[in-house]
Amino acid sequence: MRRFFPVQDLARDVRFTRASMAELQNDPRSTRRRSADAPARSNRLSPARPDATDSARRLMHGIFVGEVQALEGAGRTCWDFTTGDDAPLALKLDMARQAWDEARHVEISCKLGEWMGTEIGEYIENTVLFEAACSSDPVLRLAGVNRALEGLAIDVFTTMKEFGELAGDPYLAFCEDWMLADEVTHVKMGSDWLRRLTENDPERRAQALEFQSVVDKLFSYGGTRSESNESFVGLARRFRELAGFTPEEIDEVAALSLDSLNEAVANRAALHARTVDALAEDVH
Amino acid sequence: MAVTVTPSEFHFVKFDHADAVRVVEELLGRLGMAARDVTINIDETTPLGRSEIKGTDPITIAVESGAFENPKVLRTLLADNVANVTGRLLLRVRDRESGAFDDAPADSALTLPQLVAWEVYSNGRLGRMGYPMQRQRWLYHFRNRHGFTDAADAAFERLWETDDLSWSEISTIIATAAPVG
Repeated sequence: MRRFFPVQDLARDVRFTRASMAELQNDPRSTRRRSADAPARSNRLSPARPDATDSARRLMHGIFVGEVQALEGAGRTCWDFTTGDDAPLALKLDMARQAWDEARHVEISCKLGEWMGTEIGEYIENTVLFEAACSSDPVLRLAGVNRALEGLAIDVFTTMKEFGELAGDPYLAFCEDWMLADEVTHVKMGSDWLRRLTENDPERRAQALEFQSVVDKLFSYGGTRSESNESFVGLARRFRELAGFTPEEIDEVAALSLDSLNEAVANRAALHARTVDALAEDVH
Repeated sequence: MAVTVTPSEFHFVKFDHADAVRVVEELLGRLGMAARDVTINIDETTPLGRSEIKGTDPITIAVESGAFENPKVLRTLLADNVANVTGRLLLRVRDRESGAFDDAPADSALTLPQLVAWEVYSNGRLGRMGYPMQRQRWLYHFRNRHGFTDAADAAFERLWETDDLSWSEISTIIATAAPVG
Protein backbone atom coordinates (compact mmCIF):
# COMPACT_ATOMS: atom_id res chain seq x y z
CA MET A 1 0.00 0.00 0.00
CA ARG A 2 1.38 3.36 -1.01
CA ARG A 3 2.53 5.97 1.49
CA PHE A 4 1.82 9.73 1.52
CA PHE A 5 -1.41 9.74 -0.42
CA PRO A 6 -2.11 12.91 -2.49
CA VAL A 7 -5.41 14.67 -1.88
CA GLN A 8 -6.53 14.45 -5.50
CA ASP A 9 -6.44 10.65 -5.31
CA LEU A 10 -8.86 10.33 -2.39
CA ALA A 11 -11.56 7.81 -3.29
CA ARG A 12 -15.05 9.27 -3.65
CA ASP A 13 -18.09 8.06 -5.57
CA VAL A 14 -20.10 10.05 -8.11
CA ARG A 15 -22.22 11.73 -5.46
CA PHE A 16 -19.32 13.92 -4.33
CA THR A 17 -18.05 17.14 -5.92
CA ARG A 18 -15.05 19.10 -4.73
CA ALA A 19 -14.06 22.75 -4.68
CA SER A 20 -10.60 24.04 -3.94
CA MET A 21 -9.91 26.64 -1.29
CA ALA A 22 -9.02 29.08 -4.10
CA GLU A 23 -12.43 28.62 -5.75
CA LEU A 24 -14.21 29.23 -2.44
CA GLN A 25 -12.14 32.29 -1.66
CA ASN A 26 -12.58 33.73 -5.15
CA ASP A 27 -16.35 33.89 -4.89
CA PRO A 28 -16.92 37.68 -5.15
CA ARG A 29 -20.29 37.46 -3.40
CA SER A 30 -20.38 38.38 0.23
CA THR A 31 -22.57 37.78 3.26
CA ARG A 32 -20.46 40.09 5.33
CA ARG A 33 -20.18 43.82 5.75
CA ARG A 34 -18.44 45.37 2.81
CA SER A 35 -16.06 47.58 4.76
CA ALA A 36 -14.47 47.82 8.16
CA ASP A 37 -16.63 50.93 8.83
CA ALA A 38 -19.94 49.18 8.17
CA PRO A 39 -21.81 47.97 11.26
CA ALA A 40 -21.16 44.36 12.23
CA ARG A 41 -24.11 41.99 12.50
CA SER A 42 -24.57 38.58 14.02
CA ASN A 43 -24.04 35.62 11.70
CA ARG A 44 -23.99 33.04 14.49
CA LEU A 45 -25.98 29.85 13.85
CA SER A 46 -29.16 30.10 15.90
CA PRO A 47 -32.74 28.76 15.52
CA ALA A 48 -34.00 32.36 15.41
CA ARG A 49 -32.55 32.76 11.91
CA PRO A 50 -35.13 32.09 9.16
CA ASP A 51 -32.48 30.05 7.32
CA ALA A 52 -31.42 28.19 10.47
CA THR A 53 -32.30 24.66 9.43
CA ASP A 54 -30.73 24.86 5.98
CA SER A 55 -27.61 26.45 7.49
CA ALA A 56 -27.44 23.63 10.05
CA ARG A 57 -27.91 21.04 7.28
CA ARG A 58 -25.05 22.55 5.28
CA LEU A 59 -22.80 22.63 8.36
CA MET A 60 -23.73 19.03 9.16
CA HIS A 61 -22.68 17.99 5.67
CA GLY A 62 -19.40 19.85 6.18
CA ILE A 63 -18.91 17.90 9.41
CA PHE A 64 -19.64 14.64 7.59
CA VAL A 65 -17.00 15.18 4.86
CA GLY A 66 -14.63 16.48 7.56
CA GLU A 67 -15.05 13.22 9.47
CA VAL A 68 -14.35 11.20 6.33
CA GLN A 69 -11.12 13.16 5.79
CA ALA A 70 -10.16 12.98 9.48
CA LEU A 71 -10.53 9.18 9.28
CA GLU A 72 -8.36 9.14 6.18
CA GLY A 73 -5.77 11.41 7.85
CA ALA A 74 -5.50 9.43 11.09
CA GLY A 75 -5.30 6.20 9.13
CA ARG A 76 -2.51 7.61 6.96
CA THR A 77 -0.51 8.62 10.05
CA CYS A 78 -0.63 5.00 11.24
CA TRP A 79 0.75 3.83 7.91
CA ASP A 80 2.92 6.59 6.42
CA PHE A 81 5.68 6.54 9.06
CA THR A 82 8.03 3.78 10.15
CA THR A 83 7.50 2.84 13.77
CA GLY A 84 10.38 4.25 15.80
CA ASP A 85 11.54 7.53 17.27
CA ASP A 86 9.51 9.74 14.91
CA ALA A 87 6.34 7.73 15.26
CA PRO A 88 6.39 5.54 18.37
CA LEU A 89 4.04 2.56 18.49
CA ALA A 90 2.01 4.24 21.24
CA LEU A 91 1.42 7.24 18.96
CA LYS A 92 0.25 4.93 16.19
CA LEU A 93 -2.09 3.19 18.62
CA ASP A 94 -3.59 6.57 19.50
CA MET A 95 -4.01 7.36 15.80
CA ALA A 96 -5.64 3.94 15.27
CA ARG A 97 -8.04 4.69 18.11
CA GLN A 98 -8.74 8.07 16.51
CA ALA A 99 -9.42 6.43 13.14
CA TRP A 100 -11.93 4.17 14.90
CA ASP A 101 -13.59 7.21 16.53
CA GLU A 102 -13.72 9.05 13.19
CA ALA A 103 -15.29 6.04 11.49
CA ARG A 104 -18.00 6.09 14.14
CA HIS A 105 -18.42 9.84 13.61
CA VAL A 106 -18.83 9.29 9.87
CA GLU A 107 -21.68 6.88 10.57
CA ILE A 108 -23.28 9.24 13.10
CA SER A 109 -22.94 12.17 10.70
CA CYS A 110 -24.53 10.16 7.89
CA LYS A 111 -27.50 9.34 10.08
CA LEU A 112 -27.81 12.93 11.32
CA GLY A 113 -27.70 14.15 7.71
CA GLU A 114 -30.48 11.74 6.83
CA TRP A 115 -32.49 12.90 9.87
CA MET A 116 -32.10 16.51 8.72
CA GLY A 117 -33.08 15.68 5.14
CA THR A 118 -29.65 15.99 3.52
CA GLU A 119 -28.34 13.67 0.84
CA ILE A 120 -24.72 12.52 0.83
CA GLY A 121 -22.85 14.79 -1.58
CA GLU A 122 -25.62 17.40 -1.63
CA TYR A 123 -23.03 20.10 -0.97
CA ILE A 124 -19.51 20.71 -2.23
CA GLU A 125 -16.67 18.95 -0.41
CA ASN A 126 -13.71 21.09 0.61
CA THR A 127 -10.68 18.82 1.03
CA VAL A 128 -8.46 21.30 2.84
CA LEU A 129 -8.74 19.16 5.98
CA PHE A 130 -6.97 16.18 4.41
CA GLU A 131 -4.38 18.52 2.90
CA ALA A 132 -3.37 19.48 6.44
CA ALA A 133 -2.83 15.77 7.12
CA CYS A 134 -0.30 15.35 4.31
CA SER A 135 2.83 16.69 6.04
CA SER A 136 5.88 14.45 5.94
CA ASP A 137 6.61 15.16 9.63
CA PRO A 138 4.27 13.37 12.08
CA VAL A 139 4.70 16.21 14.57
CA LEU A 140 3.41 18.70 12.02
CA ARG A 141 0.42 16.44 11.40
CA LEU A 142 -0.30 16.36 15.12
CA ALA A 143 -0.12 20.15 15.23
CA GLY A 144 -2.11 20.71 12.05
CA VAL A 145 -4.69 17.97 12.38
CA ASN A 146 -5.08 17.16 16.07
CA ARG A 147 -4.52 20.62 17.48
CA ALA A 148 -5.77 22.99 14.78
CA LEU A 149 -8.32 20.89 12.99
CA GLU A 150 -9.75 18.88 15.80
CA GLY A 151 -9.69 22.15 17.75
CA LEU A 152 -11.98 23.61 15.11
CA ALA A 153 -14.15 20.48 15.44
CA ILE A 154 -14.57 21.31 19.14
CA ASP A 155 -15.82 24.79 18.17
CA VAL A 156 -18.14 23.44 15.47
CA PHE A 157 -19.60 20.64 17.60
CA THR A 158 -20.21 23.05 20.47
CA THR A 159 -22.10 25.38 18.11
CA MET A 160 -24.15 22.49 16.68
CA LYS A 161 -24.86 21.05 20.12
CA GLU A 162 -26.13 24.44 21.31
CA PHE A 163 -28.24 24.77 18.17
CA GLY A 164 -29.77 21.32 18.78
CA GLU A 165 -30.54 22.19 22.40
CA LEU A 166 -32.18 25.51 21.51
CA ALA A 167 -34.19 23.99 18.66
CA GLY A 168 -35.27 21.08 20.84
CA ASP A 169 -33.77 18.51 18.45
CA PRO A 170 -33.05 15.59 20.78
CA TYR A 171 -30.83 13.60 18.40
CA LEU A 172 -28.68 16.47 17.19
CA ALA A 173 -27.81 17.75 20.67
CA PHE A 174 -27.14 14.23 22.00
CA CYS A 175 -24.95 13.09 19.09
CA GLU A 176 -22.93 16.30 18.94
CA ASP A 177 -22.26 16.07 22.67
CA TRP A 178 -20.85 12.55 22.34
CA MET A 179 -18.73 13.40 19.31
CA LEU A 180 -17.51 16.52 21.11
CA ALA A 181 -16.18 14.33 23.93
CA ASP A 182 -14.13 12.35 21.39
CA GLU A 183 -12.78 15.52 19.80
CA VAL A 184 -11.57 16.81 23.15
CA THR A 185 -9.65 13.52 23.53
CA HIS A 186 -8.17 13.84 20.02
CA VAL A 187 -6.92 17.35 20.70
CA LYS A 188 -5.50 16.24 24.06
CA MET A 189 -3.65 13.38 22.33
CA GLY A 190 -2.22 15.88 19.84
CA SER A 191 -1.14 18.29 22.59
CA ASP A 192 0.47 15.49 24.65
CA TRP A 193 2.32 13.91 21.72
CA LEU A 194 3.47 17.25 20.38
CA ARG A 195 5.05 18.11 23.75
CA ARG A 196 6.55 14.64 24.21
CA LEU A 197 8.07 14.33 20.72
CA THR A 198 9.59 17.81 20.73
CA GLU A 199 10.72 17.82 24.35
CA ASN A 200 14.38 18.09 23.39
CA ASP A 201 13.91 19.76 20.04
CA PRO A 202 12.68 23.36 20.47
CA GLU A 203 13.20 24.13 16.81
CA ARG A 204 10.90 21.31 15.71
CA ARG A 205 8.33 22.36 18.29
CA ALA A 206 8.42 25.95 17.04
CA GLN A 207 8.02 24.72 13.48
CA ALA A 208 5.05 22.56 14.48
CA LEU A 209 3.35 25.42 16.35
CA GLU A 210 3.91 27.69 13.37
CA PHE A 211 2.29 25.09 11.12
CA GLN A 212 -0.61 24.90 13.55
CA SER A 213 -1.07 28.68 13.28
CA VAL A 214 -1.13 28.45 9.50
CA VAL A 215 -3.74 25.68 9.61
CA ASP A 216 -5.75 27.51 12.28
CA LYS A 217 -5.85 30.58 10.08
CA LEU A 218 -6.73 28.54 7.01
CA PHE A 219 -9.59 26.92 8.86
CA SER A 220 -10.86 30.25 10.06
CA TYR A 221 -11.07 31.20 6.38
CA GLY A 222 -13.66 33.81 5.61
CA GLY A 223 -13.99 34.42 9.33
CA THR A 224 -16.22 31.37 9.71
CA ARG A 225 -14.97 30.75 13.27
CA SER A 226 -14.09 33.45 15.78
CA GLU A 227 -15.29 35.01 19.01
CA SER A 228 -17.02 37.76 17.04
CA ASN A 229 -20.76 37.32 16.52
CA GLU A 230 -20.08 37.98 12.86
CA SER A 231 -18.68 34.45 12.65
CA PHE A 232 -20.98 31.52 12.05
CA VAL A 233 -19.16 29.36 14.64
CA GLY A 234 -17.88 30.53 18.03
CA LEU A 235 -14.69 29.60 19.89
CA ALA A 236 -15.32 26.98 22.60
CA ARG A 237 -12.85 28.15 25.26
CA ARG A 238 -13.88 25.75 28.02
CA PHE A 239 -13.64 22.61 25.89
CA ARG A 240 -10.31 23.79 24.49
CA GLU A 241 -9.00 24.09 28.04
CA LEU A 242 -10.15 20.52 28.70
CA ALA A 243 -8.30 19.48 25.55
CA GLY A 244 -4.99 20.76 26.90
CA PHE A 245 -4.81 24.25 25.39
CA THR A 246 -3.30 26.82 27.74
CA PRO A 247 -5.20 30.13 28.19
CA GLU A 248 -2.43 31.85 26.21
CA GLU A 249 -2.80 29.36 23.36
CA ILE A 250 -6.56 29.92 23.29
CA ASP A 251 -6.01 33.70 23.21
CA GLU A 252 -3.67 33.16 20.29
CA VAL A 253 -6.27 31.16 18.33
CA ALA A 254 -8.89 33.81 19.17
CA ALA A 255 -6.66 36.62 17.90
CA LEU A 256 -5.74 34.70 14.79
CA SER A 257 -9.39 33.93 14.03
CA LEU A 258 -10.34 37.57 14.44
CA ASP A 259 -7.50 38.57 12.10
CA SER A 260 -8.82 36.07 9.61
CA LEU A 261 -12.32 37.54 9.87
CA ASN A 262 -11.01 41.07 9.31
CA GLU A 263 -8.84 39.92 6.44
CA ALA A 264 -11.84 38.18 4.89
CA VAL A 265 -13.90 41.37 5.17
CA ALA A 266 -11.11 43.33 3.46
CA ASN A 267 -10.55 40.70 0.76
CA ARG A 268 -14.24 40.37 -0.01
CA ALA A 269 -14.59 44.15 -0.19
CA ALA A 270 -11.68 44.34 -2.64
CA LEU A 271 -12.99 41.46 -4.75
CA HIS A 272 -16.48 42.94 -4.72
CA ALA A 273 -15.14 46.36 -5.75
CA ARG A 274 -13.10 44.81 -8.58
CA THR A 275 -16.19 43.00 -9.89
CA VAL A 276 -18.27 46.19 -9.70
CA ASP A 277 -15.51 48.14 -11.53
CA ALA A 278 -15.31 45.49 -14.23
CA LEU A 279 -19.08 45.65 -14.57
CA ALA A 280 -18.99 49.46 -14.88
CA GLU A 281 -16.32 49.24 -17.60
CA ASP A 282 -18.48 46.77 -19.51
CA VAL A 283 -21.45 49.15 -19.36
CA HIS A 284 -19.49 52.21 -20.62
CA MET B 1 -47.44 36.08 -20.17
CA ALA B 2 -44.11 37.90 -19.84
CA VAL B 3 -41.34 36.63 -17.64
CA THR B 4 -38.53 39.04 -16.88
CA VAL B 5 -35.44 38.00 -14.99
CA THR B 6 -32.93 40.64 -13.95
CA PRO B 7 -30.06 41.14 -14.39
CA SER B 8 -30.05 39.90 -17.98
CA GLU B 9 -26.35 39.19 -17.69
CA PHE B 10 -24.68 37.91 -14.54
CA HIS B 11 -21.24 38.95 -13.28
CA PHE B 12 -20.98 37.61 -9.73
CA VAL B 13 -22.52 34.24 -10.60
CA LYS B 14 -22.58 32.06 -13.71
CA PHE B 15 -26.37 31.65 -13.91
CA ASP B 16 -28.01 30.66 -17.18
CA HIS B 17 -30.51 33.47 -17.76
CA ALA B 18 -32.50 31.61 -20.44
CA ASP B 19 -32.80 28.57 -18.19
CA ALA B 20 -34.26 30.65 -15.36
CA VAL B 21 -36.83 32.25 -17.71
CA ARG B 22 -37.77 28.85 -19.16
CA VAL B 23 -38.35 27.29 -15.73
CA VAL B 24 -40.58 30.17 -14.57
CA GLU B 25 -42.60 30.15 -17.82
CA GLU B 26 -43.21 26.42 -17.47
CA LEU B 27 -44.14 26.85 -13.83
CA LEU B 28 -46.71 29.56 -14.61
CA GLY B 29 -48.36 27.28 -17.15
CA ARG B 30 -48.53 24.34 -14.76
CA LEU B 31 -49.92 26.49 -11.94
CA GLY B 32 -52.69 27.86 -14.16
CA MET B 33 -51.17 31.34 -13.99
CA ALA B 34 -50.08 31.58 -17.63
CA ALA B 35 -51.73 34.95 -18.13
CA ARG B 36 -49.65 36.61 -15.39
CA ASP B 37 -46.58 38.76 -15.90
CA VAL B 38 -43.70 37.96 -13.57
CA THR B 39 -40.49 39.81 -12.81
CA ILE B 40 -37.75 38.14 -10.83
CA ASN B 41 -34.97 40.34 -9.51
CA ILE B 42 -31.91 38.33 -8.50
CA ASP B 43 -29.40 39.88 -6.11
CA GLU B 44 -26.26 38.22 -7.38
CA THR B 45 -23.97 40.05 -4.95
CA THR B 46 -24.84 37.78 -2.04
CA PRO B 47 -24.75 33.98 -1.73
CA LEU B 48 -27.57 34.05 0.83
CA GLY B 49 -30.91 32.50 -0.11
CA ARG B 50 -33.72 34.80 0.96
CA SER B 51 -36.72 35.28 -1.34
CA GLU B 52 -39.83 37.45 -1.10
CA ILE B 53 -42.85 38.71 -3.00
CA LYS B 54 -42.48 42.44 -3.64
CA GLY B 55 -45.67 42.98 -5.64
CA THR B 56 -48.54 41.10 -7.27
CA ASP B 57 -49.47 43.18 -10.33
CA PRO B 58 -47.22 42.32 -12.03
CA ILE B 59 -45.93 39.60 -9.75
CA THR B 60 -42.52 40.80 -8.61
CA ILE B 61 -40.16 38.54 -6.72
CA ALA B 62 -36.81 39.39 -5.15
CA VAL B 63 -34.34 36.56 -4.53
CA GLU B 64 -30.77 36.31 -3.37
CA SER B 65 -28.54 34.22 -5.62
CA GLY B 66 -28.12 31.40 -3.08
CA ALA B 67 -31.82 30.57 -3.45
CA PHE B 68 -31.32 29.48 -7.07
CA GLU B 69 -27.76 28.16 -6.71
CA ASN B 70 -26.62 24.60 -7.28
CA PRO B 71 -25.08 23.59 -3.93
CA LYS B 72 -22.84 21.09 -5.73
CA VAL B 73 -21.38 23.56 -8.25
CA LEU B 74 -20.47 26.96 -6.87
CA ARG B 75 -22.17 29.99 -8.48
CA THR B 76 -24.20 28.02 -11.05
CA LEU B 77 -27.98 27.80 -11.41
CA LEU B 78 -30.00 24.75 -10.41
CA ALA B 79 -33.30 24.64 -12.31
CA ASP B 80 -34.95 22.59 -9.54
CA ASN B 81 -34.21 25.35 -7.05
CA VAL B 82 -35.69 27.97 -9.38
CA ALA B 83 -38.84 25.86 -9.66
CA ASN B 84 -39.08 25.16 -5.92
CA VAL B 85 -38.45 28.69 -4.66
CA THR B 86 -40.49 30.45 -7.34
CA GLY B 87 -43.19 27.79 -7.18
CA ARG B 88 -43.73 28.33 -3.45
CA LEU B 89 -44.00 32.10 -3.91
CA LEU B 90 -46.36 31.83 -6.88
CA LEU B 91 -48.57 29.41 -4.96
CA ARG B 92 -48.70 31.90 -2.11
CA VAL B 93 -49.89 34.59 -4.55
CA ARG B 94 -52.46 32.17 -6.00
CA ASP B 95 -53.65 31.14 -2.52
CA ARG B 96 -54.13 34.76 -1.47
CA GLU B 97 -56.09 35.53 -4.64
CA SER B 98 -58.35 32.50 -4.12
CA GLY B 99 -60.27 34.18 -1.29
CA ALA B 100 -59.52 31.29 1.07
CA PHE B 101 -56.57 33.16 2.55
CA ASP B 102 -58.15 36.56 3.12
CA ASP B 103 -57.64 36.16 6.86
CA ALA B 104 -53.94 35.30 6.53
CA PRO B 105 -51.51 37.87 7.89
CA ALA B 106 -49.52 39.93 5.38
CA ASP B 107 -46.23 38.29 4.37
CA SER B 108 -44.28 40.67 6.60
CA ALA B 109 -46.46 39.72 9.58
CA LEU B 110 -46.25 35.94 9.16
CA THR B 111 -44.42 34.26 12.02
CA LEU B 112 -41.73 31.70 11.17
CA PRO B 113 -43.96 28.77 12.25
CA GLN B 114 -46.83 30.11 10.09
CA LEU B 115 -44.55 30.70 7.11
CA VAL B 116 -42.99 27.24 7.32
CA ALA B 117 -46.47 25.64 7.57
CA TRP B 118 -47.59 27.48 4.42
CA GLU B 119 -44.37 26.48 2.64
CA VAL B 120 -44.91 22.84 3.60
CA TYR B 121 -48.44 23.04 2.17
CA SER B 122 -47.02 24.53 -1.06
CA ASN B 123 -44.17 22.03 -1.35
CA GLY B 124 -46.52 19.07 -1.02
CA ARG B 125 -48.54 20.43 -3.94
CA LEU B 126 -45.45 21.13 -6.06
CA GLY B 127 -44.22 17.60 -5.34
CA ARG B 128 -47.49 16.11 -6.61
CA MET B 129 -47.05 18.19 -9.79
CA GLY B 130 -43.81 16.31 -10.38
CA TYR B 131 -41.25 18.81 -9.11
CA PRO B 132 -38.45 17.11 -7.13
CA MET B 133 -39.03 17.71 -3.43
CA GLN B 134 -36.94 16.88 -0.35
CA ARG B 135 -39.70 15.72 1.98
CA GLN B 136 -37.39 14.90 4.92
CA ARG B 137 -35.73 18.31 4.67
CA TRP B 138 -39.11 20.02 4.96
CA LEU B 139 -40.15 17.74 7.80
CA TYR B 140 -36.99 18.86 9.61
CA HIS B 141 -37.83 22.52 8.91
CA PHE B 142 -41.32 21.94 10.27
CA ARG B 143 -40.09 20.14 13.39
CA ASN B 144 -37.71 23.01 14.12
CA ARG B 145 -40.61 25.45 14.08
CA HIS B 146 -43.40 23.30 15.55
CA GLY B 147 -41.60 20.89 17.84
CA PHE B 148 -40.02 17.46 17.63
CA THR B 149 -43.25 15.66 18.57
CA ASP B 150 -45.69 13.14 17.12
CA ALA B 151 -48.33 15.88 17.04
CA ALA B 152 -46.08 18.09 14.93
CA ASP B 153 -45.34 15.19 12.57
CA ALA B 154 -49.07 14.50 12.15
CA ALA B 155 -49.68 18.20 11.39
CA PHE B 156 -46.89 18.11 8.81
CA GLU B 157 -48.44 15.07 7.18
CA ARG B 158 -51.80 16.79 6.75
CA LEU B 159 -50.25 19.94 5.30
CA TRP B 160 -48.00 17.99 2.93
CA GLU B 161 -50.71 15.64 1.65
CA THR B 162 -53.63 18.04 1.16
CA ASP B 163 -54.46 20.08 -1.95
CA ASP B 164 -57.20 22.52 -1.02
CA LEU B 165 -56.70 24.04 2.39
CA SER B 166 -57.78 27.49 3.52
CA TRP B 167 -55.79 29.69 5.90
CA SER B 168 -58.16 28.92 8.77
CA GLU B 169 -57.67 25.19 8.13
CA ILE B 170 -53.89 25.63 8.12
CA SER B 171 -54.17 27.57 11.37
CA THR B 172 -56.25 24.79 12.92
CA ILE B 173 -53.73 22.14 11.80
CA ILE B 174 -50.73 23.96 13.21
CA ALA B 175 -52.58 24.61 16.47
CA THR B 176 -52.59 20.83 16.98
CA ALA B 177 -48.78 20.90 17.03
CA ALA B 178 -46.78 22.73 19.68
CA PRO B 179 -45.37 25.87 18.06
CA VAL B 180 -41.80 26.78 18.85
CA GLY B 181 -40.45 30.36 18.94
